[in-house]
Amino acid sequence: MKPPPFEYVRVESVQQALDELHADPEAKALAGGQSLVALLNLRLARPSRLVDIGRLGELDRIFEDRDSLVLGGLVRHRRLENDPLVRRRAPLLAEAASHIGHLAIRNRGTLGGSLAHADPAGELPAVILALGGTCYTDSVDHGRRAIPIEDFFTSHYTTVLCADELLTWVRVPTVKRLEGWGFVEIARRSGDFAMAGAACTVCLDAAGRIDGVRAALMSAGPTPILVSDASPVGRWPDEELARELAAQWAPAQADTFRRLLANTALRRALVAAMQRAQQRRQEAGVG
Amino acid sequence: MAAGSPASSSMMAGPYVGSSVPRREDDELLAGQGRFLADLVGAGTLHAVFVRSTHAHALIEELDTTEARSLPGVVAVVSAGDLEAPLGPLPTLHEPHPLFADVFEFSMVDAALPCLAGAEVTYVGQPVAVVVANSRRIAEDAAELVTVGYAPLASVTDAEAALDPHSALVHDLLDTNEAARIRCSFGDVDGALEAASVVVADCYRMGRHGAVPLECRGVIARVDARRNRTEVWTSTQIPHLVQRAICAVTGWPRETVRVVAPNVGGGFGTKANVYAEEVVIPLIARRLERDVAWVEDRLEHLTSAAQGRDQVHRCRLAVDSAGVILAWQSDFVVDIGAGSLWTAGILANTAIHLMGPYRLPAFRVSGRAAFTNKALVAQYRGAGRPEACFALERSLDQAARELGLSPAEIRRRNLPGPDEMPYVRPLPYRDGVPIVYDGGDYGACLEACLQMLPESEAKALADDHPQLLVGHGVATYIEATGRGPYECARVTLQPGGSFEVAAGSACAGQGHRTTLAQVAADALDVDLARVCVRNGDTDAVADGIGTFASRSAVVAGNAVHVAATRLRTRARALAARQLGVSVEQVVPVDAGFATAYRGATLTWGDLAAALGREGSLADEQPLQEIVRYEPRTVTWTMGAHAAVVGVDPDTGLGRVLRYAVAHEGGADIHPGIVEGQVIGGVAQGIGGALLESFGYDADGQPTSGTLAEYLLPAPCDVPTVQVRHLTAPTSANPLGVRGAGESGTIAVYAAIASAIEAATAAQGVRVRSTPVDPSMLALALHTSIDGPA
Repeated sequence: MKPPPFEYVRVESVQQALDELHADPEAKALAGGQSLVALLNLRLARPSRLVDIGRLGELDRIFEDRDSLVLGGLVRHRRLENDPLVRRRAPLLAEAASHIGHLAIRNRGTLGGSLAHADPAGELPAVILALGGTCYTDSVDHGRRAIPIEDFFTSHYTTVLCADELLTWVRVPTVKRLEGWGFVEIARRSGDFAMAGAACTVCLDAAGRIDGVRAALMSAGPTPILVSDASPVGRWPDEELARELAAQWAPAQADTFRRLLANTALRRALVAAMQRAQQRRQEAGVG
Repeated sequence: MAAGSPASSSMMAGPYVGSSVPRREDDELLAGQGRFLADLVGAGTLHAVFVRSTHAHALIEELDTTEARSLPGVVAVVSAGDLEAPLGPLPTLHEPHPLFADVFEFSMVDAALPCLAGAEVTYVGQPVAVVVANSRRIAEDAAELVTVGYAPLASVTDAEAALDPHSALVHDLLDTNEAARIRCSFGDVDGALEAASVVVADCYRMGRHGAVPLECRGVIARVDARRNRTEVWTSTQIPHLVQRAICAVTGWPRETVRVVAPNVGGGFGTKANVYAEEVVIPLIARRLERDVAWVEDRLEHLTSAAQGRDQVHRCRLAVDSAGVILAWQSDFVVDIGAGSLWTAGILANTAIHLMGPYRLPAFRVSGRAAFTNKALVAQYRGAGRPEACFALERSLDQAARELGLSPAEIRRRNLPGPDEMPYVRPLPYRDGVPIVYDGGDYGACLEACLQMLPESEAKALADDHPQLLVGHGVATYIEATGRGPYECARVTLQPGGSFEVAAGSACAGQGHRTTLAQVAADALDVDLARVCVRNGDTDAVADGIGTFASRSAVVAGNAVHVAATRLRTRARALAARQLGVSVEQVVPVDAGFATAYRGATLTWGDLAAALGREGSLADEQPLQEIVRYEPRTVTWTMGAHAAVVGVDPDTGLGRVLRYAVAHEGGADIHPGIVEGQVIGGVAQGIGGALLESFGYDADGQPTSGTLAEYLLPAPCDVPTVQVRHLTAPTSANPLGVRGAGESGTIAVYAAIASAIEAATAAQGVRVRSTPVDPSMLALALHTSIDGPA
């Protein structure tokens, strides 16, 4: 379980990282290493050079910017789980982060690493998709790109990132006043890769009817998939509606069991989101 | 004073047997001071990496090591072609007694696998060549440079398919895939099946899983050229059997090979096996006259260490209208992969334990072991007993349902009562001695278990978990323990008056340094602090067998007891001579001996000094006793398990909510260790029942090469286990002990399956295989995917 030989460089700035990635197309950025190091040890990945960005403090920051949060690519899962700002302003993100692997993994794994790794069973890809986030990438050749998350994933472990691009920042909209959220993951054991999972937000109008739903599934295809549409707008949120939407939105899959799990995760996530939205509506004194 | 400190243990007075004294292993292990195999790799040691077959079945057409040899840092690359003669095969580790083989019509063929593959490979992971280099990294790089040209052959991965006459052959040299067979019966089975009011017939499967200890395998070999000795450290449960195998394969004389087991991070049977790697590494060390280490990584372990279970039973159980068993039969097949050194043991264990603890007027068993193109098989905690228990207990549940009896009631009606003990079977055990259950009160054991975890608990838990279907299950088991043929122990009085105890039973976490010291201290009538246990070393005691099959407390424990008792008897005579009184006038005191008549005392230190060169007893032999203890036959442990399991109908995932074990063991040496053994055994059973599976695709490629795919039970998967120990001392051995190492595991599969069926009784779900498949459960509980049926 030793990796094949590689060169290693620890960079001191984002610019240096970009230069390194530009200079060697076979180089790979190393952040938390929670996926890459395992792939190296199994000799399934053979980069010529590892560009260690782990100490780039500039990418380990979180800003509030009006109606959104801007998160550095190096923010660790454990911080997403516990950071007061994230818990208050992007609670879905905080809740999903708590489901990632185990504590030791969450202490190291990073937001940017998880999105760039693009595991269809990953929590963060599905959550950022449900939130409608934006990925910012930097590179010598292309400069900065802003990529809507809907356009980011292309297949299993594959994204639109070019070889020399670094995912530097992620922007997610903050939770609205009458918005609830739900995250449900189904796994054989606590901390395992998801057999199925759903992340969703439900917004209510002043009357308490559905104003909008966004829902994404993990482990339901080669990429996380956004399954929601406008059909529930104007309906009253209740368990029956959640059941109906889950049945409607769970993607047709050859494997009936898989479809049942996606349906179950989605239904439970929608119920949780509806209940939270209603609770927030009560707390806000609306209606 | 803090419990567990050395001072507190030295302050405790005997008798020690029966008391949970602080475990001597704990301070060291909890402080990270354990010395496991990889901790012993010294500077200058060469690192070995095995090139392993990537095909389930293929001919090796080309093997080119040129490029690997030329990599800087590589010291040697060895394949079968580099050896004067093929290495191996390893000798089988168990052959049944001729009387048993005769009655059970047992026969067996040997796959005779060489230690390094010759012209053919028969499973993925089989050692093909070994690369030795200055570092592990270089050895791994070089291993990639070894070119092996394979010509794939047809493979077979299912045991029943392998026994089809048209199946591809696993071993070309054999004309069959049948490795062994066993057959036996008593009573009028056919008549009972015809006449019975209820006959249930079904097929039960237990999947392939295994020990997967925290510490993988590993071997270090050092050559002492001046003494012409090869010293081998290996993470094993059976150093003496490894020593014998090395000598059998290499022809080296026994006295030139020392085998030592350091701290072993779990064995559970996969390390009660001898491996090709344990022969190849010493051979290479000897060739190179360098220290050579091989430390197995997890990927290797999950594909090439011995696996377990993998049985299918086709059964029929006949009961009368009251649920009383009239006849029981099973036709079973064991998948032993490309080979097993334990084929005979697994077949025999399965056949015998199929009878369970119940009254049985008629019984018929036929079993076969089949070669397949999968990894090797060894014993795994229970070794045929869990599979047998699953088939019988599942059948009993089915019969109970047909009759409208509760699972507990049908068992009550079939357990022999205390007045029927000893309960005799008309068959011999594996050692040729007639089977006699030497139990106390099996019914009381069942009731004790149900008292701890009654069925009403399931109803209460159902209220707490409205989203789950909750059910209660029960199962019983029987376990032959303390199998011979023998174990050796040595007890020696050391200068200063302390004692060294050595036994052939190597320790893989069972606490022998504590328990064997307790036994010795009581027999010697000395303070526990005076006794030091050294085991797992062929230099410490010349002969031995090892730790597996719930045997060490019984066989090694009694060997130590007898040796220490003899030493004390002789010491008393010497003390009498030294004190100038008759033996009868010598009485034991704390530190040694005394005579009230003369008021004189003689400490153990005095006695040791007197036996020294300058001492007045210098003409006497040193105080040392070596005993080979041979039990007449096994002693039987019975127990009952109860489980409450919750099933999520929308995901099919089962969760064990409560668990209880009552077991009828013998005298406890260390109650805390026994309880720990039972709880750990339950955890492994839960893994096997719900999670663990060595997967293979149709081409024999393993699909469980990492711990993300091979699912071990984690803390969230194992509830608190309630344990009740019912003591039924046995007259089978001087200490009155029975084995308990496998008691926790055997009935878990059956108890959990029973609970899941109870939880889903309304939907009529049947559980016929483990690990219980969530998709099977979920789909059985839904008529459409859009909601519960």
